[in-house]
Amino acid sequence: MSIALELPTRRNEAWKYSDLRQAVGAERHVLRDGRDIIERLAPGTQRSVIAPGEARLFVERMDDDCHMDARSFEFVLEPGASLTRVVVQTGKDLPLSVARVRLGARAKYTQFVLAFGGRLARLETHVSVEGEDAEVTLNGAYLAGRGQHADLTSTINHQARGATTRQLIKGVARKGGRGVFQGKIVVERAAQKTDARQHHRGLLLEDGAEIFAKPELMIHADDVQCAHGNTAGGLDEQALFYMRSRGIPASQARSLLIEAFLAETIPASLPEDLQDELIGMIRAWLAEARS
Amino acid sequence: MFDVAGLHVAVGGAEIIKGLSLSVPAGETHAIMGPNGSGKSTLSYALSGRDGYEVTAGAATLNGSDLLALEPEERAAAGLFLSFQYPVEIPGLSAIAFLKAAINAQRKSRGQEPMPAPELLQLMRAKAETLKIDQEMLKRPLNVGFSGGEKKRFEALQLAVLAPKFAILDETDSGLDIDALKIVAASVNAARAPDRGLLVITHYQRLLDYIKPDRVHVLAKGRIIASGGPELALELERDGYDKYVRAA
Repeated sequence: MSIALELPTRRNEAWKYSDLRQAVGAERHVLRDGRDIIERLAPGTQRSVIAPGEARLFVERMDDDCHMDARSFEFVLEPGASLTRVVVQTGKDLPLSVARVRLGARAKYTQFVLAFGGRLARLETHVSVEGEDAEVTLNGAYLAGRGQHADLTSTINHQARGATTRQLIKGVARKGGRGVFQGKIVVERAAQKTDARQHHRGLLLEDGAEIFAKPELMIHADDVQCAHGNTAGGLDEQALFYMRSRGIPASQARSLLIEAFLAETIPASLPEDLQDELIGMIRAWLAEARS
Repeated sequence: MFDVAGLHVAVGGAEIIKGLSLSVPAGETHAIMGPNGSGKSTLSYALSGRDGYEVTAGAATLNGSDLLALEPEERAAAGLFLSFQYPVEIPGLSAIAFLKAAINAQRKSRGQEPMPAPELLQLMRAKAETLKIDQEMLKRPLNVGFSGGEKKRFEALQLAVLAPKFAILDETDSGLDIDALKIVAASVNAARAPDRGLLVITHYQRLLDYIKPDRVHVLAKGRIIASGGPELALELERDGYDKYVRAA
């Protein structure tokens, strides 16, 4: 039996904006046991445990653009551990990634995903807040050029009290490009005093660009602070005119505005040289989009 | 230096400026005063080339070059500057980065090399100091979370750093308390030069206590209906615009 039949159709709620079955087509892959489709497509799950008090930085580069690049990760942050994870997706075919993150008490998880899209690129993150007073930052930016598909999907499940969650996702799409953000935040009954904010902003750069957003907030506790926001629109014409009136040509003004828009998602806590590299990649994409 | 002749401007199909003519010679500062709805902001936007402000007739030149044929950025490169009544917030772009992009874009279009970064920074810091702008604010995203007074001081900073040939100051006094008004006015006065013209657009005479114009023009119903010396501003302050609006 072809594995395509086991892949999700777009009737599957979690995959309704990313047609994996169509993208994989008749390719042959072995499906392994796993909880989620990307875990089953990946050759195995890489597991890392961050010890109490330890602080680590992982940078993953998904730059394989020959075929399906499916990766599965599990990160366990023990109490007081800190992990910063940066994912840079440039592979152009089928980059698929799933990460499960479990946080102990006072653990700190900071993630930044920079996705340039592919034939179908999907980067999933699932965070379980299991210990009290944890801190989660789950930011990301996607840039979907012509014919590119970039999907950032996440769930953050608060099971313990006192956690702080910040999620800022921004993205741009050009004509024929498709950006997807699906973000679910769950606050269980035990997770009192949770402070969670989720924002998604999409920028449609040209007619024919597509951005799909499905932000979800499910709150079962009664003493929490939660907020979310979601917008999609075009570039700020007033800002554009303001910049042009100062002598900045329209195409450069557009690039500067988009760069500034996306750069806001890069966590300030990242090492400066890494921040510069990420900005440089965004800038290069914009320069190419201009030419 | 700056000449506007028979200018007509329509916004959304409605004519707002109806045959406006004005000449500001080099070295002079002129004031345009007018009541709400007289077309003050429309005039400044049309002259700087904003989309949606359609010039249906007339001419506007700066040192002989036809402004109306130019894109907004080309007008800036030709030496035109507009200080906005409501400066726009640019999230994520610092004042330093913004000014650097503006200066170097203007230099490039004039065939000049980019200004070396240390020189640029020194220039910005020196001008910020005279405007009592905190150096830390230069690193903040431009105008984001700035108070009304801070925004106007940043407009004055841009004027000082970009050093245009001709500047239009649209309601520079709005949103300013008296201390900030004095600082901004001093900076505008410092910008006066024999080869530079200034056009101050305002509703109130108050600003003209601090920026002394050579000529005052009254704008009503889209036309200049009276011109005179600085004493005209005082008369308007005393008697109001009624007489002129009725006559227009």
